[in-house]
Amino acid sequence: MSDVAAPTTPPAPAPAPDHVTLTIDGQSVTVPKGTNVLEAAKLLGNDISAFCYHPGLPIVAQCRQCLVSIEKNPKLQPSCQQVCVESMAVHTTDAQSTLARKQQLEFTLVNHPIDCPICDKAGECTLQRLYFDHDNADSRVDTQKVHKAKAVDLGPTIVLDQERCILCSRCIRTCDAVAGVHQLEFANRGDHEILTTAPGEQLDNPYSLNTVDVCPVGALTSKDFRFTMRAWELEATPSVCNGCATGCNIELHHKNDRAWRIVPRHNEAVNSYWMCDEGRTTYHELREDRLAAAVVDGLPASWDKAVQAAAKRLGVFLTRDASQVGVVLSALHSNEDNFALAKLAKLWGAGHVYVAGKPLVPARADGRLRVADVNPNATGVKAIAEALGLTLLPTLELDRGTPANLRALIILGDVVPGLDAVKLKEIEIISIAAHERGPVPHAKVALPCASWAETGATTTNQKGLVQRMHAAVTSPGAAIAGWDAVVRLAAATGQKLAYAHARDVFKDMTATVPAWKELTWQRDVRPLALRFAGSRG
Amino acid sequence: MAADARTLKQLVLGRKDVQDLSDIEQELPPDLMTVNMGPSHPAMHGTVRIVLTVDGEKIIKGDVQPGYLHRCFEKEAEHATYTQVFPYTDRLNYVSPMINNCGWAMAVEKLMGLTTKIPRRAEYIRVIVSEMSRITDHLTCVGASAMELGAFTPFLYLLKSREWMYELLEKVSGARLTHSYVRVGGVSQDLPENFGPELTQVLDRTAEVMVECQDLLNNNKIFHDRMAGIGAITREDAIRTGCVGPIARAAGVDYDVRRDFPYSVYPELEFDVPLGTTGDCYDRYLIRLEELKQSMRILRQCLVQIPEGPIMSDDHRVALPPKAATYNTIESMIRHFKHIMDGVRVPAGEAYSFVEGGNGELGFFIVADGTGRPYKAYCRSPSFVHLSTAEMLFKDHFIADVVPIFGMINMIGGECDK
Repeated sequence: MSDVAAPTTPPAPAPAPDHVTLTIDGQSVTVPKGTNVLEAAKLLGNDISAFCYHPGLPIVAQCRQCLVSIEKNPKLQPSCQQVCVESMAVHTTDAQSTLARKQQLEFTLVNHPIDCPICDKAGECTLQRLYFDHDNADSRVDTQKVHKAKAVDLGPTIVLDQERCILCSRCIRTCDAVAGVHQLEFANRGDHEILTTAPGEQLDNPYSLNTVDVCPVGALTSKDFRFTMRAWELEATPSVCNGCATGCNIELHHKNDRAWRIVPRHNEAVNSYWMCDEGRTTYHELREDRLAAAVVDGLPASWDKAVQAAAKRLGVFLTRDASQVGVVLSALHSNEDNFALAKLAKLWGAGHVYVAGKPLVPARADGRLRVADVNPNATGVKAIAEALGLTLLPTLELDRGTPANLRALIILGDVVPGLDAVKLKEIEIISIAAHERGPVPHAKVALPCASWAETGATTTNQKGLVQRMHAAVTSPGAAIAGWDAVVRLAAATGQKLAYAHARDVFKDMTATVPAWKELTWQRDVRPLALRFAGSRG
Repeated sequence: MAADARTLKQLVLGRKDVQDLSDIEQELPPDLMTVNMGPSHPAMHGTVRIVLTVDGEKIIKGDVQPGYLHRCFEKEAEHATYTQVFPYTDRLNYVSPMINNCGWAMAVEKLMGLTTKIPRRAEYIRVIVSEMSRITDHLTCVGASAMELGAFTPFLYLLKSREWMYELLEKVSGARLTHSYVRVGGVSQDLPENFGPELTQVLDRTAEVMVECQDLLNNNKIFHDRMAGIGAITREDAIRTGCVGPIARAAGVDYDVRRDFPYSVYPELEFDVPLGTTGDCYDRYLIRLEELKQSMRILRQCLVQIPEGPIMSDDHRVALPPKAATYNTIESMIRHFKHIMDGVRVPAGEAYSFVEGGNGELGFFIVADGTGRPYKAYCRSPSFVHLSTAEMLFKDHFIADVVPIFGMINMIGGECDK
């Protein structure tokens, strides 16, 4: 699993040749060669303040906030740029570096506007945190602040407040390094220096919203999120983006059972510190076109009635000739949902097993995070079908002609290419879906299920990495987890799937799929209140 | 015909008339009987249930079952900033909330190393409001107990006097009962204008009321007979069970936090610690009367000695910036924001701090993890400890004695159940 915490570097008694040992404030620490002093101090729990340094970006040492004193060196050195050297002695709490930090903060705040009450970053702001931890002194400024432009439209996704900007250049470097485009620049000098777009450019790239995350103040704000919710009122639940097959690790920020934004979560193996803009907007879908109650013949019904109705319709075929029944797995659903349905198909002896998903978008693949496959779990469905010995056909095969004996289809999900209106009428459709669209309104029986943000489950990204998603919000109405819906359907048709919890499905699944044998179920995590997240910002 | 009527009556009422009972049935049943007092009973201070096992009128066992007012004080505190805990402490002993406020503030200050850096005026204000709270606490205890024994007049007199105190405390803090007045590093606002003369007047009038009540109660035969020799505890038992405050002092335990572990400006004030001899309810009553007088003595000294000056520490770790600075400088704005949103930043560590509450030693134990809210908070509430002695005190008394014993234990539901 990806969520296993990386072991911290243990202080080895005999350092390997590619390691160096140094002391920071008298504490000894051994780090790999090439590590900078700031990162080494982090290992000791000493968070040297910094604005421009970001572990995922090139180092420029321009904010001067991380200055530390190093023995035998007459001048303070920026700890972000200073590489650790054997036997180096660093001091971060001596009078000289403490004063430097204080003065630097005072300097940074000279022209900062008094915006906290209306600033989107308040509560997760690096400037607020560092001032409170390292300076906390009164203002000594008696001159007017330099005023700059307040709401500069930088592009389709982002608004800039030039007054708030502290000129750390993280956003410029993010565009350069993450998106590979140079769209932001500094202009002018001194206290008239501003952040602006490069000549002839807009801040318009698929990774633009990462600049909002890395901004240590509220200068860059997302048009999607700004003025919607105070950051400190949100709660964060770790999950995985369901926007494409990359499976970027994310945090879903939610409040009062409603998702408000998605931000990337660090995972070096998948997405580092970043994610694409498209993925960030997928939370909107959680509230769109939701199927909140079971539907039988176009009318709302209770779960029991709906499941009985489905079983009755299926029973005709199952008792006569189970090969007339087809099952459609979904590349948009979790491993657990798909495994439960695939297992049921096997128990029934269903004659046809398809997989449905969104068509590839080749233009999306950019060699960075975005890939052509916009289905989060195509790899997982394939692995499950293989392990269960099922022959998987894409639903697009249905376009070439329906198999003569296909009379009923149990469809997971709401995206099924290859099913036109005629086929939808000919075939008995039983739908298990989170959204009321695609084939779902045509289904004889539709069973509501939870979306990816509403239930604990796993998903498999393009590289075959199985990642855990945690439930962040409750599902609407009568919707339950997809695998649970399958279990109820199975029971009604006289089959037994002994799953009481997603964990049970996961255990059965990992025992079945050879490549997943070593995986363990990660316990549910409780949402983290951002207000008390302390080190945020 | 008559037999039929009786049968019908039996059918309707489900029992026999007394004249129809046999001789054996007319005698008192020989088994022990279980009687419920509370949870909602006029003589239960707060909501508490006592299951009495009685042999006739005599109590064999009094099983006290608290918990009806449990509000998860300690758990709630883990989810609130240090400042946000003050309103919760108000609801501990809600008859003397100011003392709880002070106790919590002192525990946090101890963790931050601020104990000796609180401005002197703030310390005096804290002592003033604490002693006023002690007066309201004792007035309530004595008044309510007298009423429960049938003496309604002293109850009205004493609560009238308590109301004068509340009115004054309302002027100080803005709230009659749940003051939330003290802050880490000082108090939230200065004393109102004309506070000294008003308090002096209230003290004078309260002293008169107390004379009246003493005349009504001290040598009152009913009151004396129902208090003296009832619910006595020995000095050894008081120490063994952890009794503190008036209950322990009535039993002759010479312990008062204000004198033995002096805090705030108590070393600069003169007061005596009254001691009892018998440890019974009557002694507890007399101790409370004397403590009322001592509190008044402390208050009069405070009014003379209180210096001018700031009421809040100037340490930026705890002090909110002035409003003008908050609205006009970014530094103060951030500090204000951080104080309110993240809370006062308390360095990692643990501390136990205790004050003399209305019922005795009131302690707060805090484990801090360096963030703005406690990692763990614990409250050593005297009511809880005292209630644990109740079963022992009830034993071999009559049912009617539960009322004075329970009244003089002065169990406050909010403090006991936390």
